[in-house]
Amino acid sequence: MTFGNPWMLLGALGALIPLLVHLFDRRRPRPHPFGPLAFVLRSQKRTASRLKLKRLLLYALRTLILLAIPIALARPELSRDAHAAQVVKGPAATAIILDASLSMRWTDGTSLFERGRDEARDALKDLLPEEPATVLVCTSSPAAPPPPGFDRARLRGLVDEAKPTYGAADLSRCMEMASRSLEENPMAAKRLVVVSDMAASAFRLEAPPPTVKGPTGAPVKPEVVLRDVAEGREALNNHAIVDLKVEPALQAGPRSFQFTFTVRNFGTEAAKDLEAAVRTGETTLAKGFVDVPAGGTTQKALTVRFPQGGTVVGQVTLASDSLAEDDRRAFVLPVPKALKALVVNGAPHATRYRDEAFFVDAALTAPGSPVEVAVRDSEVGLREDFAAYDLVLLLNVPAPSPEEAARLAAFVENGGGLFLSMGDRVNTEDYNQRLGAVLPRPLRVVRTSAERETDPEAETKAARLAQVKQEHVLFSPFTGRAEEGLIGARFYRYVLLEADNPASPGASQVLATYEDGAPAVAVMRKGKGRVAMFTSTVDRDWSDFAIRTSFLPLMQRFAAYLTGSLEEREEVRVRVGEQVTLRPEGSQKVTAVKAPDGSELPVKEQPDGSVVAGPVLEPGAYSVLGADGKMQPALSFAAMLDPAESDLTRVPQDTLTAYFGEETVKASSGDEDRPTVPLWTWLILAACVAFFFEGTLLRK
Amino acid sequence: MLLDAQTLARLKGVKLRARAVMEGVLSGLHKSPHQGQSVEFAEHKEYAPGDELRHLDWKAYGKFDKYYVKRFEHETNLRSVMVVDASASMGYGSGALNKLEVATTLAGALCYLLVRQQDAAGLALLTGGKWKDVPPRASAGHLNVLLETLDATTPGGGTDLGSAADHLAEVLPRRSTVIVLSDLLDEKQDALKRVLALRQRKNDVSLFHVVDPAELTFPFDDPTLFLDMEGEGRIEVNPREIKESYLEEFHAFLASVKASCAEADVDYELVRTDEKLDDVLLRYLGRRGRRG
Repeated sequence: MTFGNPWMLLGALGALIPLLVHLFDRRRPRPHPFGPLAFVLRSQKRTASRLKLKRLLLYALRTLILLAIPIALARPELSRDAHAAQVVKGPAATAIILDASLSMRWTDGTSLFERGRDEARDALKDLLPEEPATVLVCTSSPAAPPPPGFDRARLRGLVDEAKPTYGAADLSRCMEMASRSLEENPMAAKRLVVVSDMAASAFRLEAPPPTVKGPTGAPVKPEVVLRDVAEGREALNNHAIVDLKVEPALQAGPRSFQFTFTVRNFGTEAAKDLEAAVRTGETTLAKGFVDVPAGGTTQKALTVRFPQGGTVVGQVTLASDSLAEDDRRAFVLPVPKALKALVVNGAPHATRYRDEAFFVDAALTAPGSPVEVAVRDSEVGLREDFAAYDLVLLLNVPAPSPEEAARLAAFVENGGGLFLSMGDRVNTEDYNQRLGAVLPRPLRVVRTSAERETDPEAETKAARLAQVKQEHVLFSPFTGRAEEGLIGARFYRYVLLEADNPASPGASQVLATYEDGAPAVAVMRKGKGRVAMFTSTVDRDWSDFAIRTSFLPLMQRFAAYLTGSLEEREEVRVRVGEQVTLRPEGSQKVTAVKAPDGSELPVKEQPDGSVVAGPVLEPGAYSVLGADGKMQPALSFAAMLDPAESDLTRVPQDTLTAYFGEETVKASSGDEDRPTVPLWTWLILAACVAFFFEGTLLRK
Repeated sequence: MLLDAQTLARLKGVKLRARAVMEGVLSGLHKSPHQGQSVEFAEHKEYAPGDELRHLDWKAYGKFDKYYVKRFEHETNLRSVMVVDASASMGYGSGALNKLEVATTLAGALCYLLVRQQDAAGLALLTGGKWKDVPPRASAGHLNVLLETLDATTPGGGTDLGSAADHLAEVLPRRSTVIVLSDLLDEKQDALKRVLALRQRKNDVSLFHVVDPAELTFPFDDPTLFLDMEGEGRIEVNPREIKESYLEEFHAFLASVKASCAEADVDYELVRTDEKLDDVLLRYLGRRGRRG
């Protein structure tokens, strides 16, 4: 047994008062002549034995009262835990660290976090009156706790208001922060109370345990009290969606996507027939079942064909378990719209594969492509009503007439997409003269890197793409092995461009160049529309790019890019706890970013025009509002959880004891280890009962 | 006019108090059970051996040839003796009057009543362990002697009601009225029995049991050293501790006295010293009137 206020035991000397009163109280009774003395005498004799017993009882009860009160005030404690090692006794400045990570949302009716709050309240209640304390709610970005103080109400308020987050928590870091806070208190003894589910992901056991500055300035270990809110459970079973890939499923038709779930079972029991689904709102788009072995990982692919284009916000879900938050993941998917393209063939040929438009037509009308293609020769094509199309491709077309050029410029100004490819039908001077307004850069001359027909080493001398801006949305898929399809292409001839467009300086952007630095792909915004220029041919006349694997996807991306249906922004992958950078296009403005629960994220505009929002606090789909207060679907994004938090593997008690040091750690958890009513309460109760009986005896 | 103890206490001397009580009693009486001296015929009774021959009705004998004896309402004048216990314990009083003052006032008032209807009244005072007798007489001048004797009585000595009863049995003729006024705190176990034995000698015996309210309720709180008023005894007790037991004992004593009196056909009247004495007498006389 230990005592919180041992000096209060001096008050137990008060228990001698009844004895001293009995021994030394010699008050003289008032003499009173009385007639019926015989009756008094008989009564006294009759009650003598009972009175003696009553006096003894009174003496015992009064002694008990006077003994119980000071002992209760001394706050006795029984040893509560057999695992408790030697710990610093007496008052200690205390920091209570409440784990508010995602794993604390695990529930079996009562969430671990609710239990944690109860434990934190109990920890506050168990403090001695002279022990200063502070509370640190440990999140992914914890705030430094206030210095230890005696304002218990404020600390209880902190605990009451604490909410579990969706992010990871670094308990090691939180303990360090709490230790620094404890150093601000002069009290010699320090104590850290850690309220957590003891998930392994929360501890960095490779780092040294927390220390505080001792009285001499040397670091000493604080007492560490571990309040395990998942006490008694060897493992917390959980399965989660740890990854999601959404890819176009061209084989399933246009606007089809394949959702590939990666499901991991962190538990010790196999999970069978888990329902996996893709949903938008209340609608289930696809559904399947998945089995995951204990501790294993499984992938499940579901294909969804969207009826129309546009930005789709939805979520993939898995059958819920005790931690439901990681059983769903939101997605924001730009589904390409159906496009109408006018291909103006400048060099038709009877042999299909020698036709200028053959490869482009094949690429744009490939299975799954949203593009509907109309191929016309130059004369017919340039007389078409461009407004009936989303995209016009001029493939090795002689320079249009000024009137046709003006209609083309108007088409682009009004939001149309224009693709230009070169060839021997292209007269650079005529192009510059008539189409100068819509050319990203003026054309100069045709450069021949190798004569394919005459030079036997033409293949080696042919130019290749050297610098490709993979960060641009047009080329973003061409990384890794996909890049080989680009850089493997040989270009024997191409048109050189001027350094910039004098009509609109700085408007154009070169996305790919040849080895000599000459532009291969240049793009430009013009009004509401976009123009892309490929400086070689899209058939096999000047290059073999048309038969390269990268040709088909690149042409499809050209189509999507020029019509604005291919998002020009980088795919936003943001985890809870991180900030997100949004890159609005052109005149777009970001005024607010709304979380799934309707709250707004803090937004900060950057000098480069991008906007930093966050940190993101919860998973789900976030919507972005523009200057007009309307949603900007193109900027919407989904935030996901850190998969590490789904791993609820717990650190064994022995490991934690060894880590913190047996002499300092003190496990305290579970109601069965802790007396539900402190000992001093029983003493006060005994004193009250004794007081009651004393009063009853006195009345008799 | 009913006078309470406080008012009576302001009247100095038994004479005044007794007169005040007596007047209160007279104004409260509707019918006196002792009306006048006239001897009125009541009925005839067939002669039986032992009957007074002088009451034979010879005229009736002439008519019916049988002996009849006349019976009357009052055959004789009353001869009453007030036995007043003036032992030391009678000096106890927690209120305006002590027990002896109450007893002497009651005795004086009764003397008034008796002498007023020309009955003989006497006294037997037990004080300081000695007897002081005033023989019964019916003269008006005798009343003063009685009242002055009562007035001069002071409490002292022990209680010996048994001896008093024996003494009266010797000196009183049969069919006397004996009125005992005492607190009955006599150490001798057979004292009451000997007093009640007077009834067996054809005497009309009444007992006024005078008690103080403090004796009835034991209202003491602080530790007290109780001193015996008739001896050297003393005892230190916490009254609160024995109160329940004391009250049980004392009320059992009162109940036993009352039961003994009832058994012996003796009128018993419990008198609290804080009671209105004329009320006590009215109650007593009323009950006797109902008995005839």
